[in-house]
Amino acid sequence: MSAPVFASGATKPGGERGVLLEARDVTMRFGGLTAVKQVSLQVHDGEIVGLIGPNGAGKTTFFNCLTGLYKPTSGQVTLRGDVLPPKPRDVVKAGVARTFQNIRLFHNMTAMENVMVGTYCRTKANVIDAIFRLPRHRREEKASTARAGELLAFVGLADKANTLSRNLPYGDQRRLEIARALATDPSLLLLDEPTAGMNPNETRDAEDLIFRIRDLGLAILVIEHDMRFIFNLCDRVLCLVQGEVLIDGTGDEVQNDPRVIEAYLGSPQAEAGD
Amino acid sequence: MTEKLLARAGAVRVAGVVAAALGLVTVLLPWAYGKTALDNMTYFFGPSFLQLCYAILLLVALVALAAKWFRGRLGRFAKAVAWADTAKAAGLGAAGYALACLVAIAVQNGGLVMIEPGGWAAFGLALVTGGAALVLPGSAKPTLGKLKSPPWVQILAIAAAMAVVLFAAAYELNRADIEDFLVFGCFAVAVVVVGRAAGLFGWLSLAAANNRRVLSLAAFAVAFAFPFTQNGSDANMSVANQVLIFAATAMGLNIVVGLVGLLDMGYIAFLGAGAFTAAVLSKSAFATLSVDLPFPVTVLISGVVASLLGLLIGTPTLRVSGDYLAIVTLAFGEIFRITMNNLDGVDGPNITNGSNGVPAIPNLDFFGFNLGQVHHFLGVDLGRQSNYYWLLLVVIAVVIVVFSNLAHSRIGRGWVAIREDELAAEAMGVNTFALKLLAFAGGAFLAGMAGSVKAYRDTAVSPDQFVFLESAFLLAAVVLGGMGTIGGVLIGATLLKLLPEKLRFFEDYRLLLFGALMVLMMRFRPEGIVADERRQLEFHDADEELAEEVEEDLVSHHSLLNPETDRGAVA
Amino acid sequence: MNVTLFFEQLVNGLSLGSLYALIAVGYTVVYGIIQLINFAHGEIFMVGAFGAYTVWMVVGSPTALSWPMALFVLLPAMILGGVVLSVGTALATERFAYRPLRGAPRLAPLISAIGISVFLQEFVRLFYRKLPGAPDSKRAIPFPRIEGITGHSLQVGAVAIKLSSVFTVVALAVCTAFLWYYINKTKTGRAMVATSQDPDTARLMGIDVDAVIMRAFAVGAGLAAVAGVAHGLYIGNIDFKMGFMAGLKAFTAAVLGGIGNINGAVVGGLVLGIVESFAAQLGNSAWKDVWAFVILILVLVFRPQGILGAKVADRA
Repeated sequence: MSAPVFASGATKPGGERGVLLEARDVTMRFGGLTAVKQVSLQVHDGEIVGLIGPNGAGKTTFFNCLTGLYKPTSGQVTLRGDVLPPKPRDVVKAGVARTFQNIRLFHNMTAMENVMVGTYCRTKANVIDAIFRLPRHRREEKASTARAGELLAFVGLADKANTLSRNLPYGDQRRLEIARALATDPSLLLLDEPTAGMNPNETRDAEDLIFRIRDLGLAILVIEHDMRFIFNLCDRVLCLVQGEVLIDGTGDEVQNDPRVIEAYLGSPQAEAGD
Repeated sequence: MTEKLLARAGAVRVAGVVAAALGLVTVLLPWAYGKTALDNMTYFFGPSFLQLCYAILLLVALVALAAKWFRGRLGRFAKAVAWADTAKAAGLGAAGYALACLVAIAVQNGGLVMIEPGGWAAFGLALVTGGAALVLPGSAKPTLGKLKSPPWVQILAIAAAMAVVLFAAAYELNRADIEDFLVFGCFAVAVVVVGRAAGLFGWLSLAAANNRRVLSLAAFAVAFAFPFTQNGSDANMSVANQVLIFAATAMGLNIVVGLVGLLDMGYIAFLGAGAFTAAVLSKSAFATLSVDLPFPVTVLISGVVASLLGLLIGTPTLRVSGDYLAIVTLAFGEIFRITMNNLDGVDGPNITNGSNGVPAIPNLDFFGFNLGQVHHFLGVDLGRQSNYYWLLLVVIAVVIVVFSNLAHSRIGRGWVAIREDELAAEAMGVNTFALKLLAFAGGAFLAGMAGSVKAYRDTAVSPDQFVFLESAFLLAAVVLGGMGTIGGVLIGATLLKLLPEKLRFFEDYRLLLFGALMVLMMRFRPEGIVADERRQLEFHDADEELAEEVEEDLVSHHSLLNPETDRGAVA
Repeated sequence: MNVTLFFEQLVNGLSLGSLYALIAVGYTVVYGIIQLINFAHGEIFMVGAFGAYTVWMVVGSPTALSWPMALFVLLPAMILGGVVLSVGTALATERFAYRPLRGAPRLAPLISAIGISVFLQEFVRLFYRKLPGAPDSKRAIPFPRIEGITGHSLQVGAVAIKLSSVFTVVALAVCTAFLWYYINKTKTGRAMVATSQDPDTARLMGIDVDAVIMRAFAVGAGLAAVAGVAHGLYIGNIDFKMGFMAGLKAFTAAVLGGIGNINGAVVGGLVLGIVESFAAQLGNSAWKDVWAFVILILVLVFRPQGILGAKVADRA
């Protein structure tokens, strides 16, 4: 299990891109408030899709619907044609991992341990294995440790493996969260504002990191407010306004759509983060 | 004033050294008039053991003060030790210890007049030494902890430390008089303070981290040897047994509270479930089910019954997280007690004989080795309590291995992740509910096992042994010792069982002090005596400096440890 | 069960329920404002009862007062004594044990509360043992007779209603009315509501949140002290351990009604009292304490927001 770190979800290079994730008419209501209204979305293998929209457009709510934190009021989400299970942990197991808008690392664990928690759902050692240190436990511990080390190196935190995550600088925490998500061996990675609070240099690094993740064969769905970042990065961009899809198209199409500009001008603090 | 003294640092140092040297002489003088005070301090040129303890402290202070003058190889080594702080701690420790001796002499022999001039001189000279060290400039942080040393030195040091612990514990426990007990306790505390100041403990803990197997084997060997120091007496062994039962149960609770961060306030029910199971299955004439099973089977059944109870409690309640859980588990603890009281044949089926419980449980017998009889071995009589002590030692060893191996596994990481951020853990694929349930059931299993041995050791089980206060004590053992740690819980359990036993004079105020201690502990040192590094951070969330420090430790430990070491194997 | 027995049990249930309700308000008010389960609140109730008893002892343990004297002078003095002692104790615990732990992990105040609980129990036990003329505090102490209440009953048809029952229910009614007035009609009461809804905004609006929290503790303690006196009159004796079970049941009542909701605490208390007294009548009284806990667990699992709905149901 150690050799190819990213096995699942990878398409053959040059092969046809199949539909990885499909959301159909997802609606989420909280009491009388409709936060997400009939949103449909397709993410293909190896694609980077951007999700933009002014504050309160329902982007994070939509993310939560995709990852099982919320159960959509109506609509359906499928991964490679299979309906996603309702519980967050099962969604992870099916191959959808995420990061959080407000970083939610395990603050008093080291970077290494954080990433190793990500491998939890791909390991099977049970109580008996652990108590008696049976081969399965030892094999998996070794593999998890190696895997976590690789991932930390991949995101550029190799030298901080034993640093408590609470002591990492902000940008490193974001990258650690990505490493932790990657440890769950996903085929789709959801990033919720990965560059929030970063300076331009860090943002460029993040961009680079996301491309490298895509090159490993993962599809990525990313929420961002930084338009330059989004349009540099994404193959396709979806703009949500007040819970509804305003436009779904290539970066150029979205960038030049007057409605998008209007939607943002209607909300001057759009860059402030929601 | 201070500046003036600093200017004359050399003179102060000399004064301190001279005072210490004179102080060393005082142990050759009598300290007390009466022979009955402490361990007979009435001889000229015949220091008693407790006087020698004073000499040890003062000698350390002397060397520490003189260290400034060391040259060459010794001088280089001297830089690794925080000599000035060591001198302070040792000097003042000696003074405090001498004062404790004087007070004890006065109390035991009736008045300050019973103190010889030698005693007063000892106190005064130690005070001068400590005072001199106090006004001298402090030292940098000791680097002894970072010193590399050959493995055999480390192993030898661990062995020596363990031997000292065994000797000290045996000596301390055999003090019949409360004053002797407290005086030697003062000495032990002083030694610990001096060791910490010198950086010796930092080095020892590194050595321990490097040689976990050696450490655990040495600790086990010391524990194994303990009954031989008691010479057939059952009194201390009985206390030791109580400590072990209590510690094994607390270790189970430590999984729930320390690792997963759930507060269980009815934990004693699991110990009770194990004890009642074993009692009911035993060959006692009052047992209602009396099946003749081999003891290991009984232990397993007790553990299973307790963990089933854990599942029964956990399944509905672990969904309500947070503070509610504490109250619900408390309620379950009460339900358990009431139920055991009511299963008496009148208010329910007769299983436990109600409030009478199951008395007269016969002693265990392994292949003709009856645990109830006195056995003669290596010239030492080993009584009933010693036999059960060894049995309990096996139990606690199992419990510790289980705890440690689980903590250092994917399951343990999942538990800590839940404690840190349950939602994030779930979103990372951790089955939080199942893991919490596992912690409940697993912890209960350990407590149930301990309960089954408790039933045989106590020879009787009744519902009134399992009241809420006992649960509070268990929680206190975990909290006082240090949540999530093994050593801490062992220390916490020892203190909570041993002190009430030895300090009978404050029996009446025991609970009052206990309550106050819990409040103060939460206020001033919530992470416990032996702090789990992570826990400490959680409780001092704003303390960035501490975070850096802990991290530094983690990194240095890690790089010094052999990466191939299976660090969780035996803790 | 015949009609007389039914009504007798109903009255029993109402009196018991009133006691639970009075204590439960303390849990709920504090919880509503700082989301803290003040586990030591049961002990505050016990301290109130002992405070009242102490007043009676201090005035010379009068046993033969005329009923107007007993009812209109002694009883109010005793209640006042209880309230003062309870409120003082509650404020002290808030100040020295809970306030320093406000930013700490959830475990810390709960563990501290256990400590306070044990401390207060032991303190009362030891204090009354040292007090000259006080009865042995290890056993239950008979509560003073209040002429005009103790031992009298009201005959309604075939049902005899003890006056101490009436006192308990009336105490609840009066206290609830007072509480309603305080919270809805006074400035400090409204500050309390504002703080419970959004402490940060309340602070920005110039509300002294610390003072509000102290008032919450004080109000809860005052009601608990009244409950302590009512308990003494109704049950007939008090002891230093009485706060434990009463506190647990009152907490159950608070959860049953919806924790954080004051009306809920009253309703929850009454419902719990009635259920308990009927369960004891119909079933086996040896199991009566179990029922309250079974209710607690069922409510938490199936309707954690309680009957009337909690302010905050999710306590992750």
